[in-house]
Amino acid sequence: MSDVITIDHGSGGKLTLELIENIFKAENGLDAAILDDLAFTTDSHSIKPLFFDGGDIGKLAVSGTVNDLLCVGAKPLYISSAFIIEAGFEIEKLQKIVNSMQEEARKANVKIVCGDTKVVEKGKCDGVYINTSGIGKIIKKIDGSNVEDGDAVIITGSIGDHGFSIMNKRENLNIDVNLKSDVTQLSDVILPLLNSDIDIKFMRDPTRGGLAMCLNELCYKRHFGFEIYEDKIPIKEEVRVISEILGIEPYFAANEGKMVIVVKKEDAPKTVEMLKKNPKSKDAAIIGEVKNSLQGKVVLITPFGSKRILKMPVSDKMPRIC
Amino acid sequence: MNLELFSDPQIVKKLAKAIQTEAAKLKKEIKIMHICGTHENSIIRFGLRDLLPANIRVIAGPGCPVCVTSSRDIDAVINLALKENVCITTFGDMLKVPGSKLSLHGAKSHGADIKMVYSIYDAIELSKNSNKPVVFFACGFETTAAGTAAAILDLKLPSNFFIYSVHKYTPDGVYALLKSGKIDMDGLILPGHASAISGLRTYERFAFEFHIPSVAAGFEAADILLAILLIVKQINSNQAKVENTYNRVINYEGNTKAQQIMDRVFSLGEAIWRGLGTIEHTGYILKDEFAYVDATKHFNFEYPNHYIEHKKGCRCRDVILGKAQPTDCPLYAKHCTPYNPVGPCMVSDEGTCKNFYDGGIGE
Repeated sequence: MSDVITIDHGSGGKLTLELIENIFKAENGLDAAILDDLAFTTDSHSIKPLFFDGGDIGKLAVSGTVNDLLCVGAKPLYISSAFIIEAGFEIEKLQKIVNSMQEEARKANVKIVCGDTKVVEKGKCDGVYINTSGIGKIIKKIDGSNVEDGDAVIITGSIGDHGFSIMNKRENLNIDVNLKSDVTQLSDVILPLLNSDIDIKFMRDPTRGGLAMCLNELCYKRHFGFEIYEDKIPIKEEVRVISEILGIEPYFAANEGKMVIVVKKEDAPKTVEMLKKNPKSKDAAIIGEVKNSLQGKVVLITPFGSKRILKMPVSDKMPRIC
Repeated sequence: MNLELFSDPQIVKKLAKAIQTEAAKLKKEIKIMHICGTHENSIIRFGLRDLLPANIRVIAGPGCPVCVTSSRDIDAVINLALKENVCITTFGDMLKVPGSKLSLHGAKSHGADIKMVYSIYDAIELSKNSNKPVVFFACGFETTAAGTAAAILDLKLPSNFFIYSVHKYTPDGVYALLKSGKIDMDGLILPGHASAISGLRTYERFAFEFHIPSVAAGFEAADILLAILLIVKQINSNQAKVENTYNRVINYEGNTKAQQIMDRVFSLGEAIWRGLGTIEHTGYILKDEFAYVDATKHFNFEYPNHYIEHKKGCRCRDVILGKAQPTDCPLYAKHCTPYNPVGPCMVSDEGTCKNFYDGGIGE
């Protein structure tokens, strides 16, 4: 392990996981802590640019926390928000961010109940950092303890929309595609599943590190792995285009409005059917299955019948040189 | 053109079957080398080695642009950044390639001002807002060299912007290695991006002089399998010629406009290829007319007397020459990983070791 923190430690890849394991000694690998019948989570947001196609840091902060609570089977109820603001930041922009937070909280039916404000010197942060914490009430405890061989893996929609849309804007790539971030809270997508008789085994939102990191984290140090069928993964044409140009596969790009759900095999068709009723998850698909024999590995079956292992990303993927 | 055909599973499966049939006629096991890091990336991504018969081995050659950048040059730009208060800009992959002691990334913790850019245009923009000299560490083959040349000709460059060119010309590099006998293979998959600039004309000597079937390929599964099929067919009929399966991008003459632009800006001279030594006629060197932007003319570059291309135990040199697979290296995936790369091939998404590691091979 490096003797100093590098940017890669915050990329959401394997180095982040090692930091959490080795330094913070965190034992719970879930998106939120389960405390009796409550779920509790916290998340900090430092992004560039602050405003992007499809949302801003405020919408991202609320939806991220809401989605983390949903992952463990909780109905999100309350959120706190702490701001670190750089001196010189325009009030108008701050108001826009706060409005976004309120709007997203209203849609998720959660209340922003407390907060904190700190201002730092100019140049000490990229405009605004936001920390949000959230509390929810457990409806159906979901912690991955009952995952079984043959369980189905579902994704609620197309992957890579957020990551590639941000990359296009942040790096001024100016690739002319109609692509927006998918950032959104998923209460209206996930709560109906939690309130149904569907046997949900595991859930996680594939944010930083993308689908590759999400699947690897779900089976990390566990008795099972995943077999994923590449041709079943929904990917927008726009994402494919940017992916080809940059030489970065969509599996490694962040998503902020999608969920990976592991359900009992028999429940998979009903789950997808329910998901498709909501416009946010209309492209939901069964993309693979749990395999005990794979023990901690994610294996992609290509459309050609060949196999490859999909590993955790090391760091943020870079566009290829030539 | 319907590009989806190149990744159509039925077409890919038919090609794989045709290769099996043709391979059954081979008299010995053959090695087909590609010389493009993006080809290795595609081969791993599509699991193509899974689809090939046991008597065809596809090996990687010197096709990763950052892997062949000499430690001498990395050490030199690190020295420059530390001693002259210069900002060094370069591609992301280059930052982590180990020099003799430090990578560019590592040099940052010693106070060096190093920034990642996506292109020379980003570096130029950065220099406009900088009050100190900005040097673009320009690496890569013809593809990126063409971009560097175009920027020099097209733009009014800020007076604090400089270029340190370690661009390399692929065909003569591979030619020199073939002539030296250092590379052992039976067929060659020609690079897609670099050949789009240099054209296929230059590769004809490979077929004539060394009797090596050479086929240009794109980066979809069908592109690569078709190239392999054509190479095997040539071997079975004892032919050696240049064929093109990527004619949607590459032609015989190449991109003549890009060639003219590069001819105006660069002359070809000696270049040090990491682990392979000095090769004539492969280094893109800025012509005197463009001395005003040439970092080597403006700064007191201190080139190290001794530099370490590959650390003890590292077999990147053999990997670059196609003599070893990454899994043959005792350091692979143990002491050498993308988190802490010992050798250059473990850094870039075009490096053979990194591709093998990402594909979970041999762990």
